[in-house]
Amino acid sequence: MAALRSISSLPATASRSLLRASSSATPLVRSAAAACTQIDQRRYDTAPTYGKPTTRIPDWGYYKSNKSEDSNKVFGYFMVGTMGALSAAAAKATVQDFLVNMSASADVLAMAKVEVALNTIPEGKNVIIKWRGKPIFIRHRTADEIAEANNVKVSSLRDPQTDEERTKKPEWLVMLGVCTHLGCVPIGEAGDFGGWFCPCHGSHYDISGRIRKGPAPLNLEIPAYDFPNEETLVIG
Amino acid sequence: MPVSSRIYNTLFRRNYVFVGLVFGAAFGADIALDIYADKFWDWKNQGRQWKDIRHKYVTEE
Repeated sequence: MAALRSISSLPATASRSLLRASSSATPLVRSAAAACTQIDQRRYDTAPTYGKPTTRIPDWGYYKSNKSEDSNKVFGYFMVGTMGALSAAAAKATVQDFLVNMSASADVLAMAKVEVALNTIPEGKNVIIKWRGKPIFIRHRTADEIAEANNVKVSSLRDPQTDEERTKKPEWLVMLGVCTHLGCVPIGEAGDFGGWFCPCHGSHYDISGRIRKGPAPLNLEIPAYDFPNEETLVIG
Repeated sequence: MPVSSRIYNTLFRRNYVFVGLVFGAAFGADIALDIYADKFWDWKNQGRQWKDIRHKYVTEE
């Protein structure tokens, strides 16, 4: 009987204590909820439902990103890195321009000298090299060719020059390979006189580069050149 | 792990990786721009350059 009473009374006490708990908790809950709405309303800066606020408390809620921290960081660092990469490329281009500026300019190259190793040219062979943008003919002449050049009667020539006037060493003939007529480049080991032949208008030069036949008025030009030693030739 | 976190952790978190990436990107972009500009020029001048008509004139070698 007593047990039964106690069982029957259990719900009653439980419900009573629950009721007490809830009734005591209610004001707290309500105040917490009110605080929440107040914070919420402050955050979005809207007028509260229970009246106009007297102050507007500033905060950064409006500006806060909805995205994750890392994705914002990725965006920021990507922009910074792109800026850095562009700056680095610009700096590199600037330095490169200055360095290119220091290299030999066209007028320096135009005054250039050319060194030729003579032991690479066998006897009886022509070599054409480029010097200041123009071809230079170098011929290692044989003894027969030197004799042939010296046997010409100088007074019969259109542009009278002896072979000695045209060469510093008789075995090396160094000439500018530009036809004195209109500036073509003559062909070596060709023509009626065993020297050079200009195909443009048919000028024949002999083995000393002197004009013998055709329209050209002058002998092939001799550039300034020197032999610093037995094995080298410097043109210019 | 989201993609952004993975990118941040692998590329931007350590400064030496980030700076290396920046200079590498500058170097690579320079080369890429040069190559692209050359390709564009060749495409714009198709058939007009010596390398396009060389086979018509040089047959030996």
